Amino acid sequence: MTTISISGLRKSFGPNEVLRGLDLEIPPGEFVGLMGPNGAGKSTLLKILGGIYRADAGELRYGEERVASLAERPEVGFIHQDLGLIDDLDIVANLRLGEPPMRILGPLLDARRERKEAREAIERVGLNIAVETQVGELAPGEKALVAVARLLQRGASVLFIDEATSTLPPQDARRLISSLTATAGKGATVVMVSHKLSEILDATQRVVVILDGKIAADARSADLDRDELARMVVARETRGERPRRTRGPGQEEVLRMRAACAGRAGPVDLAVHRAEVVGLTGLAGSGLHDVAYMAAGAVSCRSGEVTVATGVRRAMVPPNRESQGGFADLSTAANMTLSALSDWRRPGRLLNGRAERRDVVEMVERLDVRPPDPEAEFGTLSGGNKQKVIFGRVLFRRPGLYILCEPTRGVDVATRADLYHLIDELREDGAGILVVTSDFEDLFAVCDRISVVESGRPGEFLSVDETTAEQLEAFI
Amino acid sequence: MSANASVADPPAPDRTPAGEGRKGARGAAATAFSSKRFQGSITFLAFIAIFIGYGLWLGEKFANIDARALDIHQNTPVLLLGLAVLVTLIAGQFDLSVASMATLTTYLVIGLKVNQGWPFALVLGVCILIGLIGGLVNGLLVVRCHVNTFIATLGTGGIFAGLASVYGKGGQLAPTGDSHQLPSWFSGTTSLGGFGEKFPAVVLWIGLCAVAVFLFLALRRLRPPGRSEAVWTAVSAAIVAVLAVLALTVLKIQHYVDAVSWTIGILIVVAVLLWTLLDHTTYGRYLRAVGSNAEAARLAGVKPGKETIKAFVLGGLLASFAGILLGANQGSASPEVAAGFLLPAFAAAFLSTVVLSTGRFNVWGTLIGGIFLVWVGQGLVVGGVPFTWTGVVNGFVLVLAVAISTVLRRRGAGR
Repeated sequence: MTTISISGLRKSFGPNEVLRGLDLEIPPGEFVGLMGPNGAGKSTLLKILGGIYRADAGELRYGEERVASLAERPEVGFIHQDLGLIDDLDIVANLRLGEPPMRILGPLLDARRERKEAREAIERVGLNIAVETQVGELAPGEKALVAVARLLQRGASVLFIDEATSTLPPQDARRLISSLTATAGKGATVVMVSHKLSEILDATQRVVVILDGKIAADARSADLDRDELARMVVARETRGERPRRTRGPGQEEVLRMRAACAGRAGPVDLAVHRAEVVGLTGLAGSGLHDVAYMAAGAVSCRSGEVTVATGVRRAMVPPNRESQGGFADLSTAANMTLSALSDWRRPGRLLNGRAERRDVVEMVERLDVRPPDPEAEFGTLSGGNKQKVIFGRVLFRRPGLYILCEPTRGVDVATRADLYHLIDELREDGAGILVVTSDFEDLFAVCDRISVVESGRPGEFLSVDETTAEQLEAFI
Repeated sequence: MSANASVADPPAPDRTPAGEGRKGARGAAATAFSSKRFQGSITFLAFIAIFIGYGLWLGEKFANIDARALDIHQNTPVLLLGLAVLVTLIAGQFDLSVASMATLTTYLVIGLKVNQGWPFALVLGVCILIGLIGGLVNGLLVVRCHVNTFIATLGTGGIFAGLASVYGKGGQLAPTGDSHQLPSWFSGTTSLGGFGEKFPAVVLWIGLCAVAVFLFLALRRLRPPGRSEAVWTAVSAAIVAVLAVLALTVLKIQHYVDAVSWTIGILIVVAVLLWTLLDHTTYGRYLRAVGSNAEAARLAGVKPGKETIKAFVLGGLLASFAGILLGANQGSASPEVAAGFLLPAFAAAFLSTVVLSTGRFNVWGTLIGGIFLVWVGQGLVVGGVPFTWTGVVNGFVLVLAVAISTVLRRRGAGR
């Protein structure tokens, strides 16, 4: 059991100082929650520890030994957001990846022993499924557990988890965390990055908050309450109190789905009215996102119909920012204006670059995108800022119907508040909004009516004011 | 081992840092601009260094405006093919059929006149139509039938080259004494295809003046905060004027203008049109979005299939254009006449991502990259290396240039 000590760690990318002399000590067997806004330096810290980046200055000690990183040590394991599993291979093959082969004879592999050990490994994290299952067929939570099992099988006793829960629906996230808690209980060190306050408070023993590349707070979790922690993490003023809603939902329907079926969803019957926010939630694999695609017109219905009020434009924030949302090698400006490009078209069909730039600068200010540079490549932005750029694109389209999938996934506490604020504004302006999310907080923060999607169809719609999270979970 | 290991290998520009927000948009933009420019200019400067080396080694034999312009003139079809593959590369597709399409249209433009005796306007129309149809077939195969882009265009390329071969009966096509003759403006020493016939200089001078004005306007917009507008306008005007005088006296730009043949002039016009289309219209934006992330483009309201098909059609059009100019240059058509152009065409398009530093496929980089490639090879030929080495040199320069620039960019911007 070894203590990890970090002192005076510094790291810059070009002119940007990300870590500014960070000191942190992690004793063995501790479950540490690492928090901080997008871009505070959490991921950079983990990437230095994992040997992906090199620190510019500072010292890292593993026990007594001075080291450059903790990579290549079997007892230290990292899980990043994308988990690093291969969907097309089964659980056994994924667990064996990068391990020395188990041989019976010459190049022949001992498949039986591999399977047996794989079975034991996943049972250790509380999974009980056939090890021949393709990883691509697993629920997101199960995938995360397989990733943990892989590390434990290698004998990892120090685990670094980078926002692995941000893409998980609540139940799966809880499953992962209880497995991590159990692992920590057996003496392992766990360092978990998360934006979810309750998760951190419930599971961890100690909370470390990073702001602007330094440790801003370091406390026992038991000594903190939620509001205190929220204040520590937010660090900057959010946009004040959210305004009271001045009006109830309108009568006029902007979206109507009648027995609509596509993908795993359907038959779906639902309506969204003007100045109304309708929320849908459900487990991954319930066809939740297929409902959103249908509503946005991104897939056509197999049967049934989706009608949008005449003259109403619709625009969608897709559930997966990286693979469906943005263009990594294009600029923030090009990403933002794509859906409404003809707005900047001059007679003669040429684009008016100056007007476009002016409007983008305005939007970047409005949404507080960092860096506030229209030319910054989308791929270099942090998660929360990517999300803001995608919101910018949707806003430029000036739709009457918004379909927002996982609007706050992987977004820090302050940005989350900004986005809720924005959704409120859009509702005040009379837009109809369909929020499709696996994050209950979204539902309770912005929605008027909510429903749980199960086996492809939404159940009864409930008024938010009369529903509690517990009731909602009972449906799932 | 220590954590502050000095081998700084600054990785990904994870531009999330909190400090970033405090800089003005302009400051951030300027930084990104200058660092990118710097990395890109390394490749550019390396080429220039090679040419200076050639100049010192070979003297007038290499450093000769007319001879180097003749290189461009003769390689215009290759450069046009570079632009053809550029369009599809931006959409994220590989069109391997362009060289065969050029061969086919060379045969048609010569043969339909010489053998069939069709009116020449009709011949040109048919050639262009064939280019459009070929591109459309490629596009439909890739987009509607979901055939892998390599396989689809390799296959159609085989068909185009095969058709040319069938039409030419496997041999050469050229006007003979008793056949129909090609129009005198099209092919011959004093024609479109001849190097002696120069592009109207007036047009080029107007173009150069436009570039100067553009430069002036761009400079004026870069006014540093704190300078008064009138002063900065004067400064910008002075800078442009000095540059103009330098261009006229030191570079003797009038000699370059005089060296531009009709073929090169047409290439420049096509490039200006294509640049406008790709960088200043919605179509260009849509195409880049599709090439970057087709699924995201679809969800953002762009139709990736439609835009991709248009890219293939445009590529086919440019390829047929290359074939026509090839016919004009050579006055005849021989088997597989353009087959060897595929590698240099792709080389030019790929060099565009490193020559002008943008990291993106672009029109001017393709032209400059293609021309540099020609000159590197030509310098060796002038220096006595047998021309049979051209292929080796092309491959070598392409791989080296792209590899070095990519490594440098990773180092610099860090990935």
